[in-house]
This record gives sequence, structure tokens and C-alpha cells, in this order.
Amino acid sequence: MSGVTEAPGAAEAGDDARASRKLGLYLTLPAQLLVLFIAVFPLLMQLYISLTGWSPLTGMGWWNAWSLWNSFQNYVELAVDNRWWSALLRTLLVMVVCVPAEFLLGLGLATLFMDNFYGKRAFYSILLMPMMVVPAVAGYMFFMLFQSGGPVNDLLSTLSGQNIAIAWLSNPSLAMVAVMVADIWQWTPLMFLILLAGLVGVQEDQLKAATLLGANWRQRFVTIMLPRMKTIIIIALAIRTIENFKIFDTLYIMTGGGPGVATETISVYIYKLITNDLNWGYVAAIALVILLTLSVALGIAISRMGKASTEVTK
Amino acid sequence: MTSIRLDTLTKKFGAFSAIRTMDLEVHDGEFMALLGPSGCGKSTTMNIIAGMERPTSGRVLFGDRDISNVPMTRRGVGFVFQNYAIFTHMTVRQNLAYGLKARGTAGAETDRRVGAIADFLQLTPFLDQPSAKLSVNILQRIAIGRSAIVEPSIFLLDEPLSNVDAAFRAVMRTELKHLQRQFRQTMVYVTHDQLEAMTMADRIAVMDHGVLQQVGTPLEVYNNPVNIFVARFIGSPGMNLLPATLVELGGRLHADLGKAGLSRALTAPLAAAARGQKSRDVWFGFRPEELSVAADTAGLTLAVTFIERIGSRTIAHFDAGGVAVKGVFENDVALQAGSTAHVVAQEQSVRLFDRATGQAIVGD
Repeated sequence: MSGVTEAPGAAEAGDDARASRKLGLYLTLPAQLLVLFIAVFPLLMQLYISLTGWSPLTGMGWWNAWSLWNSFQNYVELAVDNRWWSALLRTLLVMVVCVPAEFLLGLGLATLFMDNFYGKRAFYSILLMPMMVVPAVAGYMFFMLFQSGGPVNDLLSTLSGQNIAIAWLSNPSLAMVAVMVADIWQWTPLMFLILLAGLVGVQEDQLKAATLLGANWRQRFVTIMLPRMKTIIIIALAIRTIENFKIFDTLYIMTGGGPGVATETISVYIYKLITNDLNWGYVAAIALVILLTLSVALGIAISRMGKASTEVTK
Repeated sequence: MTSIRLDTLTKKFGAFSAIRTMDLEVHDGEFMALLGPSGCGKSTTMNIIAGMERPTSGRVLFGDRDISNVPMTRRGVGFVFQNYAIFTHMTVRQNLAYGLKARGTAGAETDRRVGAIADFLQLTPFLDQPSAKLSVNILQRIAIGRSAIVEPSIFLLDEPLSNVDAAFRAVMRTELKHLQRQFRQTMVYVTHDQLEAMTMADRIAVMDHGVLQQVGTPLEVYNNPVNIFVARFIGSPGMNLLPATLVELGGRLHADLGKAGLSRALTAPLAAAARGQKSRDVWFGFRPEELSVAADTAGLTLAVTFIERIGSRTIAHFDAGGVAVKGVFENDVALQAGSTAHVVAQEQSVRLFDRATGQAIVGD
């Protein structure tokens, strides 16, 4: 017999650990499979289809798409697709106008709501209402508002004293303006809500301390409120940037992407590709490119913003 | 440097009176402690001085100047918050420079003064550190330095030591007092801790339920409380108060303490005051420290309920016919729980309070 005796129960303990790891695996397996199915499977399927010329019109199931394999031809086509590039530019234009406008309006309103005024609660409810309107309904509302005989022109006529009948939705540049107005109307409340939460979260003592040190309102806003709201501002901007990039429903009901392609954003373009051309291999390629670009761009933007705001406070 | 005068100040929050008709003068360069239990109106008083709250009526004067309508941005008071309210998104340097920058002081001048105050408060090694993760005593010094750098003539401190543990509080008390001597500003210090008030203040203003009870030096307030609230509140433990009836016995005035027996004869001035006010039903008050064990069976007869040894001293708890009495003795005191003790309250230390009004009975 060797002099080394194993501690009693050591082997059993090892077995126990192995057994409990196994049990853990079995218990979480269904959830893991579900996640795999929801997240990874469609992505792989999309990647697969994007490398083929498959369309539902071929009558084949998507799993047979390999017979129409065209390697990276869809991606090459996309790179030289003028309609795609224009749609992307329009989408970015809407984004750089709408998101800052919503942010500034939301911040302004949130600041107003820090003070008490008569009817504050009522105004609060009214302000949040646009956010709760179904986007399709909002689209219809603005479609009606911007008719040449509609309320917007009536209002302008009353204000200017002249008879104004602008054809908002059939003028290529004005249609874009109308679409932006609708987006700003609908999503400023969300900005307002998030930023108000941020403002309320700035400790009162900090503001009082700054006031007692002689800081005026503007100084308090710039040196205390904004830096302390940094995180929430980044979150608000990120949410709206992502959402705005996907702008579709309101816009589609107002203009259908027209006149011509004047308001055709990438979502509208993809929608048309899916329903009109049924070129689904191409759509899959576009979708993948958008997903990749958006993820990378947003990742860079958020880390930049974080760094920038820490430097500002230094 | 400036004095502060509160002139018939009142403050109501709806139906609740936070401050009832308060008159108080804080002298130039004085360290005044506003002392009282939570909700007594001391913080409200402080906020009114700072301009964070407006009084319902009455005036606040700095020197001879009525500043009731001066907004808090321009009152120029230094204020140290209970939680210090350090700008944690800034460095120590930015915190210290904040007031000067807000006033538009030139960069070079700002740097010089930040350097000087950091040197004075021993903050120089931390100047370029973010202020978020520094320890409490450093935060306190930043808070003081940040206010002191703009050289306010008035300094207000709102319970600055209440977030600090007991051992550290003792260190910080000394440090604060030292700083006040250096700055020589008029300081108002709000606290509910009588030890802080007693050790640091030149004078103490005791408040309760929005009413200013007594203003005086720590010893005045301790030795001659004007009413039973101050008597109980100041001192640790507070003054013992026994219901008593005054009786004439052989030409001298004694207090009949019921089951506890008869007190020794009152001192002549106290007896004269009591006779002058025709008092009969009184509170018989004496400090726990002024109690001594009697050599014989004379004196007050009290049942010992509990002996508490706190290290340096021994606190004995007595029962005087349903009224709790405490006595502070040397450690070797021969008292045992469950026994009966004969104790004497030192004549000079006895204070009488009118049982109807709670006010002290004192001669002219």
C-alpha cells in the first residue's frame, strides 16, 4: 500500500462538481438553443442568401439557393448602386437634421419643466402624447396637414395675409422638410422624457453649491448640469440615432418615398426591393451591410462621445 | 467680516411653522452653533441666511445691510453642505477654482489663489486628482477650501460631521476649529450634536420646535439652562429633573421629592428667587455629575436599577418613585443594582424650574 491516502470524499467532490456542471448545462440548454435559433440562425441564413441570386420567384426553397450561387456579386452590385447611395445620403440627411433638433428641443423643454409653472402637469401629458401616437397614424395626420389645401397652408396664409397653397408633398425638397417635421414632432417627446429624467437626477445640492459660489444660470447649466447628464445624453442620442436611421412608417405613408425617389430612405428602398423586385439575395446583402456599418459606427461614436465629454470637464 | 442679524424672522411651510419669531445676532468673527434636535428649524434658519429659502416674515441683515432681497448668487456666503456637495465630475483643482471662475477672475490670479488655499489645507498632492474617490476628510477640506477661496465674510456649515464615524469626528472637530481661527470669519454651524457645539462654538443657540430657546456661551447654556428643554438637551446624560414641592423647614427652603425624601436646604439666592416668585410646584434639577454618594442615610433615597460602566466613569441609573435619575460616578463607586442608595445633589448645582411653565427660577 502506498503511504499516500486520498482525502476521503475528494473524488466524490470532483464528481459532484462535474455533475453539477453537467446539470447546469442541461438546464440552460433549451434557453441557449432558443437564443441560438433567434439570433444566430437568421444571421447565417441571411449571409447564405446574400451570396446567391435567390428570389422566391424561382420556386425553390431558400435552402436550395446554393444552385444560384454568385459569390460576392450582390455586394459588388451594391457598391455601384446609385439608388442605394442616394437613399443612404437621404437617410443620413434626415438623421443629422432630426436628431439634433429633437435633442435641442427636448433639452429646452426639459429645462423649462425644472421650474414650476401653472398647468405643468397638463402640459406634461400633452407633450408626451405624440410619442404614443401609432407612427402610421402620425403619418396619416401629417399627410393631411401638408395637403395643398391643408391646415399648414391655411396657417401660413393667415400669418402672412396672402393666399398660400404650397404643394408640400409633391415638391421634392419640401417633401423632405415635411417628413422631417413629422419625425421631430413625434420623437421630441422621447428626448424630452429621457433628458428630464437626467436633469431631475442632478443633485440639488450640487446646483445650490454652484449658485452659492456665484455661478449664474448659464454657468450652472454648462459646468454642472450638462457634465452630470453626460451618460443620459449619450443614451438618448444613441437611441434616437439608431431609430432615426430606420425611419420608415410615417414617411412611407406621407410620401411613399416620393415624389419620385425624393424621400426614399434606405428602409423605403429595401421595402421596394422586397415587394417589387423580389430580389431577396440582394436585400440580404444590403441588410448585412447596414447591420455591420451601424454597429461599427455607433460603437465608435459612443466611445468618442464618452472620451470627449471627460476631456471637456478636465 | 460681518455680523449677522435675524430680525423677527418667521418661516411657515403651509400650516407648519418651521421658525417662530426668531431674533438672533451673530457677532463679527464669532463661531455660533445652532443646536437642536432634528426638525427644530435650525437648517431652515441656515437656509434663510444663505438665501436658499425666503422667510415668511422678518429680515436678515449682514452688518447693517438688509439682504432679504439679495439672491443667493450674490450673497457671497460660504456654505459647506452636509454631504459636502463636491463636484465629483471635476478635479480637486477645478472644484477649488469654481467660485473664482464663476466670478470671472483672471487665470493667473485663480492659479495663485488655488495654489495658496491648497497649500493651506494640505490639498496640494491631490490637486489634479478627480475628486470622486477621495476620502471624507479630504472632501471636507475641499468643501471648505472651495467656499473659502472667494473669501466670504460669512461661513455656514450644515452638519458637516454627521457623515463621519465617531473617531474621525474628534479629529475633524479640532481641524474645523483650527480653520475657523485661521480664517476668522463669522461662522454659523448647524448641528444636532451637543458635543460639537460645546467644543467648537463661541456661543450656542439652542432651538426646539422652531423656537429659539437660549443663546449663550457653552458654559452658560450648560450651567444655567433657561428651561427644562435646554436642561435635558445639553449634557450627556442631560440634567436630572424630579417633580418636587417646595417646603419651609426651620426657616430654610427645602424641596420635598416625595418617595425620594427631602433635599438639603436650598442655597440662599435660589431660595430667595423661589420665594420671590412664590413657587411651590417645581422641577428639581441637578447634573448627573454633581451627584455623590452620601456618607450616612441622609440625602435622597433612590433605588439603583442599573449600573453602566463606560470605561472612564460609571453611570448609575436610579428610580426615584417612577422618575428615572442618572448619576455619573468614579469607577470605584460602591453601588449595586437592586440596592438602595443614599445620594446627595451638590447644593450649588441645584436648579429649579417652574412646573407650570418649564422656565428656570432664577434671582434678579
